[in-house]
Amino acid sequence: MSNSILEGETAGFRQTESAAGNVTVVMSMQQALNRALDEVLAENPKAVIFGEDCGRLGGVFRITDGLQSKHGENRVFDTPLAESGILGMSVGLAMAGFHPIPEVQFDGFAYPAINQIVCQIARMNYRSRGTLPMPITLRVPSFGGIRAPEHHGESLEALFAHVPGLKVVSPSNPHEAYHLLKYAATRPDPVIFMEPKSRYWQKGDVDAADGGSPEGAKVQREGRHLTLVAWGAMVARCLQVAELAAEDGIDIEVLDLRWLKPIDADALVASVRKTRRAVVVHEAPLTSGLGAEVAQLITQGCFDTLKAPVERVTGFDVPYPSGDLEDEYIPNIDRILFGIQRVLEYRRG
Amino acid sequence: MMSGRHTGEQHSHTVEGTDPQLYVAVHEPKTDAGLRPILLIHGFSSSSKLNWEDSGWLAALLDAGRRVITVDLPGHGRSGAPEDMDSYSPSRIRADLLQIAFDAGVRPVQAGDPASGLDLIGYSLGSRLAWEFGATQPEIVHRLVLGGPNMADPLAEFDLVAAQHYLADGTPIGDGSTAGLLKMAQALPSNNIFALLSLVEAIKGEPYDPAEAVPHMPMLLVAGENDDRAASMPQLAELAAKVGSMAEQLVLPGRNHTNAVTSRVFKQAAIGFLGS
Amino acid sequence: MAEISFPLPDLGEGLIEATVLEWLVSPGDQVERNQPLVEVETTKSAVELPSPQAGKVVRIHGGPGDRINVGEPLIVFEVPDNTAGIVGTVPKEEAPKRRVRLSAVLDED
Repeated sequence: MSNSILEGETAGFRQTESAAGNVTVVMSMQQALNRALDEVLAENPKAVIFGEDCGRLGGVFRITDGLQSKHGENRVFDTPLAESGILGMSVGLAMAGFHPIPEVQFDGFAYPAINQIVCQIARMNYRSRGTLPMPITLRVPSFGGIRAPEHHGESLEALFAHVPGLKVVSPSNPHEAYHLLKYAATRPDPVIFMEPKSRYWQKGDVDAADGGSPEGAKVQREGRHLTLVAWGAMVARCLQVAELAAEDGIDIEVLDLRWLKPIDADALVASVRKTRRAVVVHEAPLTSGLGAEVAQLITQGCFDTLKAPVERVTGFDVPYPSGDLEDEYIPNIDRILFGIQRVLEYRRG
Repeated sequence: MMSGRHTGEQHSHTVEGTDPQLYVAVHEPKTDAGLRPILLIHGFSSSSKLNWEDSGWLAALLDAGRRVITVDLPGHGRSGAPEDMDSYSPSRIRADLLQIAFDAGVRPVQAGDPASGLDLIGYSLGSRLAWEFGATQPEIVHRLVLGGPNMADPLAEFDLVAAQHYLADGTPIGDGSTAGLLKMAQALPSNNIFALLSLVEAIKGEPYDPAEAVPHMPMLLVAGENDDRAASMPQLAELAAKVGSMAEQLVLPGRNHTNAVTSRVFKQAAIGFLGS
Repeated sequence: MAEISFPLPDLGEGLIEATVLEWLVSPGDQVERNQPLVEVETTKSAVELPSPQAGKVVRIHGGPGDRINVGEPLIVFEVPDNTAGIVGTVPKEEAPKRRVRLSAVLDED
């Protein structure tokens, strides 16, 4: 079967030793997240994982596969189909000193828990003058790309990023997934961890020993002429676009934002001061999307050197469409190239 | 499976000036075999959904690359239940079916053009309508498949008065066939029982006489071995043979009038017959 | 490998049981989602039940003429562990395709 990505399982990872002596392992993002959670449970006795089908089944995307049998039913367990309950329980567990790592099975299922996330989790620390921190790592399989039904392809980063008290992060590859999840799960603050579900099966090198800084943005490809800013699943697409642009003599830098709250403004400004052009790409709808925030931060920091206004290439201002239409919705290679061309063509006056 | 389906599309032209409120759906196959469309006509007290969708016919025909037109008869399924009796008469229904076929783009049969014309599959009452439609529209109809067919319409013998008494105050119905048909009609909460009785009344006004007009195109007659309602199928085949029509017969072992509908053998025979 | 059992689904209209007419698949068959599995007859009509998922048939319950209650086991599939319960489709990795080409005079000032 084409999607048998867990074949061989954790014992059978292909390992290579780098020149620096670090051991890198080829694994899928599913496996990287699974390993990160396994280690978090082993390292932090207060960490607990729960959600719909997270226990016995191991999650619909197998992210928690095998964790219940290894760590026990008290630490990895199934919940009823009630997101408000999953997040409400997280509040209580956090108050009681645990580090809950709940899962909302799909992005669109976070809506029933918005009250718990926004009114409790995000502000309990503030409300209690720091006496009730909320060390909660909420995993949300996010974004589109897997031909799924309604509520299974949405991009909620702008909603979450707008809520004071929440941190928001999204990994773009297995290496980032491993390190960012391990880091998020040790934070004293609530972190919304948005997993790009269309990238779950993609394999890549994971260097468990050397993740670099887990904070801020990261340049995934260096370039001179234009900066593509993206996060989650769009990073891989932007890297493809950069290769194609190179055929046309355009040297593109791809900045993986990683943290969507707080946004690494310094990294944005440093990159665009160098390239002097920027296009931001996201799956979420255009209006009031995070691309507007990114464009403003770039404009603020690079106004005097920018060669063109920051372009946005995004999803459309419509509800996320059904699976067979999502290729029309998600920014594709040509739409991103068009965005780049608009910036390249821009002339003052 | 249902790609290209236009739900709830009312046909755009009416005959005799009134809208019979028929629920028509055109179903496009994923891969079109390039053959003429197939119009499906369901049985009494059934619907396109029960007779053709839930039974697996629609999926099987679409898989075979056929474009399919389904229509719910008046008072059935998602069609309306008009007040006037005329809307239920078989001749009016046939006229509406013809208009629906034209609105769906059906063109007269032309030799050498496999996309021209229309194939019909009927079941029970639908077979009666298909027989008459084939006989009266030889320019349009290419082939017929008639399931659970009969020389006489059992609805013609339906005791309307007894049925109305039964519905009014529960007076038991003496006639076994009438009681059975009414029970079948009442079994589905979605049925509009009074519309169905209007259909019965209209059918009694235009009794079925298959000998009056015999279709000249090839036909496949199919019935369950235990289908009492289709016991006279061989006589229909004889009628057709007499006028020189090719009439194949297929008996489904162990099946009756209700459960012959889902038979794989039936579907495969129909797909083969209409595909050749 | 994991086994997934599917019960006779609710056939609507208040029906509580169905009679098996004919199985269209056998143990050992590899079936696709929506492939017809079995013909069953209720007191109201005969229906063909489509497969709720892809997998290899391990067991079928009830032969022709047998009655099965709604909710009782109908068929058991064997599925690879890593596909059980997945919603959606695993994206195919394809070589990037483009129609747009870039043209620009880059003044490196």
